[in-house]
Amino acid sequence: MKRAAIRAGKALAVALILLWSLAPIALIFAASFKPERDIFAFPPRLAFTPTLEHYAALWARWPDFFVGLGNSLIVTVIATIAAVGASLCSGYAYSRFRGTWLEASAFGLIVVRLIPPIVCTLPLFPAANALGLQDTHAWLALLYATFFVSLGTFVMRSFIDQIPRELDEAAAVDGAGRFATLFRIIAPVAAQGMLAVAVFVIVYAWNEFLFAFIFTSTRAKTAPLVLAEIVGNFDGVEWGVLFAAASVQLAPVLVFVVLMQKYLVAGLTAGATKG
Amino acid sequence: MRETLATRLALIAPTQGLVLAVLVLPALYLVWLSLHTSSFGIDARWVGLDNYRHILADGYFWRSLKNTAIIVLVVVHVELLLGLLMALLFASGLPMKRVMLAVVLAPYAVSEVAAVVMWRYLFDPEVGHVAYLLAAVGLPALDWAVNPLHGMVLVALLSVWLHLPFTFMILYAARLAVPTELYEAARIDGASGWQAFRRVTFPLIVPAILIAALFRLIFAFRLFSEVWLLTSGGPARSTEVVAVYLYLEAFRYNAFGAAAATGWLMVVGSLLLAAPYLWRLARERAKDAA
Repeated sequence: MKRAAIRAGKALAVALILLWSLAPIALIFAASFKPERDIFAFPPRLAFTPTLEHYAALWARWPDFFVGLGNSLIVTVIATIAAVGASLCSGYAYSRFRGTWLEASAFGLIVVRLIPPIVCTLPLFPAANALGLQDTHAWLALLYATFFVSLGTFVMRSFIDQIPRELDEAAAVDGAGRFATLFRIIAPVAAQGMLAVAVFVIVYAWNEFLFAFIFTSTRAKTAPLVLAEIVGNFDGVEWGVLFAAASVQLAPVLVFVVLMQKYLVAGLTAGATKG
Repeated sequence: MRETLATRLALIAPTQGLVLAVLVLPALYLVWLSLHTSSFGIDARWVGLDNYRHILADGYFWRSLKNTAIIVLVVVHVELLLGLLMALLFASGLPMKRVMLAVVLAPYAVSEVAAVVMWRYLFDPEVGHVAYLLAAVGLPALDWAVNPLHGMVLVALLSVWLHLPFTFMILYAARLAVPTELYEAARIDGASGWQAFRRVTFPLIVPAILIAALFRLIFAFRLFSEVWLLTSGGPARSTEVVAVYLYLEAFRYNAFGAAAATGWLMVVGSLLLAAPYLWRLARERAKDAA
């Protein structure tokens, strides 16, 4: 009796979790393929004739959006390489070396997490203008990388801590320098950690809004920014185009997160609780 | 192996260089900026604490601070409670756990903008599905574009939805780290499920709860995109949060000095909100060390 009650309770909880997490995503995905008149049918119509008309309309009227996807991809790739590379090096240093000023600089990396992104936009805005970096891919990627080198360093340190120092020593005996050891011996073994850091940066850089909003206008405008423009131009009628754009922006990163779930979890536990 | 200072420096240089250039130097420059008046095309002039005085006398600032504090406290504590319940549910055994884990993590992949599209659609007072559901049980629709309170409720819901995966994962990982033997011992001693939670699980995951709370309090205080994209702080600046206030001061009214002062007040404000958790955490660490 009691066991049946527990099982029913769990089933209800699972149903609620499914509804809460997936319903918003599933509904706009489905709606992006529905003819306009079916979108607001309630209860949601499960049987409908799928149409690509909203995607065609998006393609025809918002060519900017597809340019934005390209920009997002470029920025994401640069930011990921920069953040993972920097985190690998500093994570290795903090794992293998000890020293007062080294510890102090590690502590500093935690303290800077307190600085809100919007606060540093103020001084960086004129700086970017003066350096001619306003509205460039590289600048946006640099900002994104910076906001993850702190977490990334601690994720890498905790992964590299698991690798026995004997490996470093054996490499040194063979005459390898520190950098050769790091890139040829340690990096392949710490690949899981690098993937974990990469997942964070990729999700952040692909989705970020605030910096893109402030620092890009035409050349480097990313997909979330164009999506926000579509929302801003929304006339209350053409929901379909909005859903098509949101679906396209979301689909790749959603698939990516589901596939990389393991690394996301490993990274969160390593970086958040030990940093 | 002897290391030269140069190797160590070279290894941490990329990370520290980025942080120094993008975060530390700008933050320090911000102190200077907050003590001056500054705008486009006008030379900065020293004004002491005038910017701070100006902001602290501004009703809009106080309203945005109040809105932020309410949303942050509600969002973070709802997240902690739901995250904890879900962590316990997952730890107690679920069918198809891996699939369910992917389901729970899904909102982590969603951008703020895409989430706003979804929630605007669901909560559209005229045609949204949630409006129909609310009407079906006899409740009025959330009039979030007109009623400030409703707008804030929607912002809070949206924030919880986006960030629950993060909070859940930290708590779930902590729960999984509790050794199984402890539960066996508790069962042999005749402890009920609640007693096992109260005496075994809870004390052991307190540090993780504190860390999740700290992270989320500090990050939630930066809330910008959700508000900007949903209500833009309106109607009549009634749903403004501090980050939106700062943005408007800086980029609409070109009052960089005042915006800089707001920035510092933001850092202080998020620290104050986090202080009780920070203090508990420091005490836990000291206890562990002793």
